[in-house]
Amino acid sequence: MSEIKKTACHFCHMNCGMLATVENGVVTKVAGDPEHPFNAGAQCPRGASALDHLTHPNRINYPLKRVGERGSGQFKRVAWGEALDDIAARLAALKAEYGAETIATTGGTNRTDDFARRRFFNLLGSPNVVHTAPVCWIPNFLTEAASYGWAAFDPEIMGAKCVVVWGHNPGASYLPEMRGLLQAKANGTKIIVIDPVYSETAAKADLWLPIRPGSDNALALAWLHVIINEGLCDYQFIDDWTVGFEELSDRVEEYTPDWAAEKTGISPELIMESARIYALSKPACIQWGVATDQLGRGSSASAQARVALRIICGNLDVPGGDVMPGPHPTFITDWELELNDMLPAEQRAKQLGSDRFKLNSWPGYQLLTDNMLRVWGKSIPAEWFCEANPSTVFRAMATGDPYPVKACIVLANNPLVSYANSKLVYKALKNLELLVAMEYWMTPSAMLADYVLPAASWLERPVMTTTYGVSDWLIASEKAIEPMFERRTDTEFWRELGLRLGQAEYWPWETDEEVFKYRLDPLGLELESYEEFVQCYRMHFAEREYQKYQTKGVATPSGKIELKISIFEQLGYDPLPHYVEPPFSHEARPELAAQYPLSLVAGGGFMPFFHSEHREMTRIRLLRPYPRVAINPALAQQLAIKEGDWLWIETPTGKVKQTAFITAAVAPDVVQAERGWWFPEKEVKDPELMGVFESNINVCVDDDPDTCDELCGSFCSRGIMCRISKVEGND
Amino acid sequence: MPDFESGGERLMHWGMLIDLKKCVGCHACTIACQNEHNLPFAMKYCKVAKVGPVGEYPNITAYNITTGCMHCADAPCVDGCPTGASRHRADGIVTVDPDKCVGCLFCMVVCPYGVRQLNEENGIVEKCTMCFNRLDEGLVTRCVETCQLQARSVGDLDDPDSELVKQIRKHNAQPLYSYLGTKPSIYYIMP
Ligand code: SF4
Ligand code: SF4
Ligand code: SF4
Repeated sequence: MSEIKKTACHFCHMNCGMLATVENGVVTKVAGDPEHPFNAGAQCPRGASALDHLTHPNRINYPLKRVGERGSGQFKRVAWGEALDDIAARLAALKAEYGAETIATTGGTNRTDDFARRRFFNLLGSPNVVHTAPVCWIPNFLTEAASYGWAAFDPEIMGAKCVVVWGHNPGASYLPEMRGLLQAKANGTKIIVIDPVYSETAAKADLWLPIRPGSDNALALAWLHVIINEGLCDYQFIDDWTVGFEELSDRVEEYTPDWAAEKTGISPELIMESARIYALSKPACIQWGVATDQLGRGSSASAQARVALRIICGNLDVPGGDVMPGPHPTFITDWELELNDMLPAEQRAKQLGSDRFKLNSWPGYQLLTDNMLRVWGKSIPAEWFCEANPSTVFRAMATGDPYPVKACIVLANNPLVSYANSKLVYKALKNLELLVAMEYWMTPSAMLADYVLPAASWLERPVMTTTYGVSDWLIASEKAIEPMFERRTDTEFWRELGLRLGQAEYWPWETDEEVFKYRLDPLGLELESYEEFVQCYRMHFAEREYQKYQTKGVATPSGKIELKISIFEQLGYDPLPHYVEPPFSHEARPELAAQYPLSLVAGGGFMPFFHSEHREMTRIRLLRPYPRVAINPALAQQLAIKEGDWLWIETPTGKVKQTAFITAAVAPDVVQAERGWWFPEKEVKDPELMGVFESNINVCVDDDPDTCDELCGSFCSRGIMCRISKVEGND
Repeated sequence: MPDFESGGERLMHWGMLIDLKKCVGCHACTIACQNEHNLPFAMKYCKVAKVGPVGEYPNITAYNITTGCMHCADAPCVDGCPTGASRHRADGIVTVDPDKCVGCLFCMVVCPYGVRQLNEENGIVEKCTMCFNRLDEGLVTRCVETCQLQARSVGDLDDPDSELVKQIRKHNAQPLYSYLGTKPSIYYIMP
C-alpha cells in the first residue's frame, strides 16, 4: 500500500512542506510539496537528504545509559521506562537538596516543541531554561517589542521598493527566502546587502555595503543622522504615532557619516547614498539578520537604531514594509501552553543572569507581557524570550556560584559547539551530577552524558510551525511513519518525565497529535483528528491587517510607538539609540592591536550544514570534508599561505585550526571562520571528544559577561581581534 | 541551437535552461540527483562550481555554475562509442545503455565537457540522464523540481512557443562553450 503524507522538513525553521511516499510503513521517497507556500515543491540540499538522515546507521535508536567513567564512551542499552524512572528520581533528589533551580536545560534552534520544555520546567519550578536565543533574533525581537509592542519580523518583500538585508545571507541559509528576494529583484525592488563578506546574497544585490565586522551599530546611527538631517522622514506618521523624535534627533546629531566611515570602513558618500535609497524608497523593509545579534556588547543598541530607522521612515506595519503580525487570535499559542503562572515569583527571581541581562529574562519579560496582554490579549512565549543567561549558567555549573547547578537536560543542542567559550562549557558539563541528552547522533556533548535518548526526526513526528509562537498563522504537518526503533518526540519525553514528577494533571494529552488538535480546536473547524486538519486545511493564516496601531493601539507603556523606549528606561538602560564600542575590537583593546592585527568573523556557515548538524551525513560531508577559513589573497601572499593549508586561528582566548580558503570575498584584514565544526569520525572519547576543540571556532570566542550585550547577554562573535599562522609539522 | 527554428523533424527535443543570475550554488541539485539515481556518495551527475569572486575587495563579482551532461545534438560520445551504448533518444536525450556499455572509457576521452564518470560500483560509464524516466512520466527532472531558487527549467526546444524557448530568447541564453560545436541542449542565462 502506498500513501503520500504531508510532512514538514525540520532541518531549519523554514519547515518546508514535504510529501513523503510511504509504502508498507517504509518511506521510499521525499519530495517538496508543490502546494506549500514556502518551498513550492522544492528542497534545499538538507531537505533532499531526509532519507539519509532517517536511516543513517549511526543514529541513536535506543536509550543508552552510561556505565563507565563520564566520557569514556561506555554505554549500555536500557529500557525507556528504566531510564526515565532513574532520571526522574535523580532530578527529584537534586531538587530536594539544592532547589529546583539546580536543574537547567539547553536547547538549540527551534526544531522542537518548546512549549513542552517550558511547561515541564515551570511545573518543576526552575527558571533556568537556556537556548542560543541571545545570539539569534532575541535582542532584535525584544528591542522591537519594547518599542512598538511586538516584532515587525514579517518583511513584505514582494511589495517593497527596497529591501535591506542586514547581516544575513539567505543565499546560504534560507533558500525559500532567497527565492523571494530574487523574485522581488526581478520586479524592480532594490536589494541592499550589508555584510563584511561578499556573500552569496551580496553577489545578487543591487548595492553591497562592505562593512567592517562588528560596526553595524555605527552604520545604523549614521543612517539615522542622514535621514533626519536631510528631512527624509515620514513626519506625519512621526507626529501622529510616536514619542521621542526630538530626543532622537538630538542624540544622532553626533553620528555623522564621517564619524561612521572611520568605524565601518564604508565611505561617507556610500553611507549617505544608501541611507537615501532606503529612506526614499517607500515602502521599504529591513530583513532580520543574525549577525547584529552577535555583536556582544551593543547588540541591542544596534537593534535599537535600526528599529528607529523603520519607524521614522514610516515603514512599520504597512504593505510592502515591515509587517508586525501579532499573535493569532484564536488558536492556542505556545505562550498559552507554557503555564508561566505556575512558576512562583521567588523562583523567577533566581533565574541566572536576570539581575544583569534584564530584557530577555523575567524583569523585562514581565513588563513586555503586561503591555502585550493589554493590546493583544496574549503575550510572546517565555521560551526564547525569557531565559537564563547561558554564560552565567555555565559558570554556575562549573563553579557553584551564585548557586549550584547540578543537572542539565540537553535537547536539540550540542553545547560544546554552540556556545562561546567551549572550554568553559566543557568544565561545566563535566562538573554536573546528571547530564541527559536527547539526540539523533552521538555528539561530543552527548558523549559526556549519563543518558543519551533517541530522538525522532521529522519524518517520524508531526510538526506544527508557528514561528516560535509569535506569528499569526500556523502550518500543520503530519508524521510520515511511526518513529523507528525506540525514537521518541520531545513532547513525549517531557510528558513522560513530568508524569513521574507529579505533573500528571497538566499532561492530559498522550500524543503530539492530541496536543496539536487541542491547539486547533478554537478555530471551530469541528475536527475529528489532527490529521484531518493536515489533509483538509494544512494551514491557517489570520486575515492580514495593516497599521494595527490604529485599531488595536500600541503595546507600550505610552500607547505610542516609542523612539525613546520607556521600558528600557524602567530597566535601567539607555532609552535612545547610541553607540557602543564593540568589545574585542582594536578600538576597545588598542594594547592588543599589534599582536592580533586581524578581525575575525566567527560564524560563517556552509549551506548543507545547519549550525553543528549534519557532519555525519557522508553525502553532505563530502561537499565540505574540512572546515575552511576565508582569507584575502593579499594576506595569503604576505603569510605565504596556499589554498588548503591548515591554519591556526588565534584570539586572546584560544586557538583552533581550519584550512585556508583564499578568496577576495573578505577584506585583507578580515578572516571568516566556519562555525559548528567537530569530527564524528575521530576518537569519540573524552578528552578528544570527536575533535571538538580542534576546529570549533567557539573555542576562540569569549563569553565574559562584561563583554556581552548589556540587555540580553549576547556574546560577541563578530569582529574579534585575531591572528593566523600556518600549522607546522604535526601540530 | 538545435534547429527548432525550422520546426525540425523530431516530435520534440528536450532541453534545459539554467539561470546563473539566480543560482546560489547550494548543491541541492547535486544531492537530489544523487538520491534520484541512487548514486554512490562520491559520484555526481550534476556538479556545482563556484566562479570567483574575481576582482579586488570590495570591487568584486562572483557566480555559480552547475553542469551535467549537455545532451549535445552532435555528440562526440555517441559518435565515438564502439558498442552503441551511448545514443540519442528520438527526443534528443543522450543515454547510456548499461547492458551495452563495456567501460572502455572512450566516451570519457571525447566528451569535451568532461561530464562522464566511471561508476566504480558497476563498471559502467554514467552521466546525467535528463531524468528521462521522470520526463516520460510527465514529471520535471529531479534537479528542476528541487531547486529552491527556480533557477532551472526543462522544456521542448523544438516548440517555438514553449516557455523554455521563450525564456531562452528573452534572456539570449547560450550553451556553454558553444564554439566546441557539439550543439548542446542545455542553455545558460549568464550572470
Ligand atoms: S530550507 Fe531546506 S532545511 Fe530548511 S526546511 Fe526547507 S528543505 Fe528543510
Ligand atoms: S556533454 Fe559530453 S557526454 Fe554529454 S552529450 Fe555532450 S559529449 Fe556526450
Ligand atoms: S536532469 Fe536528472 S540526471 Fe540530470 S542533473 Fe538533473 S537530476 Fe541529475
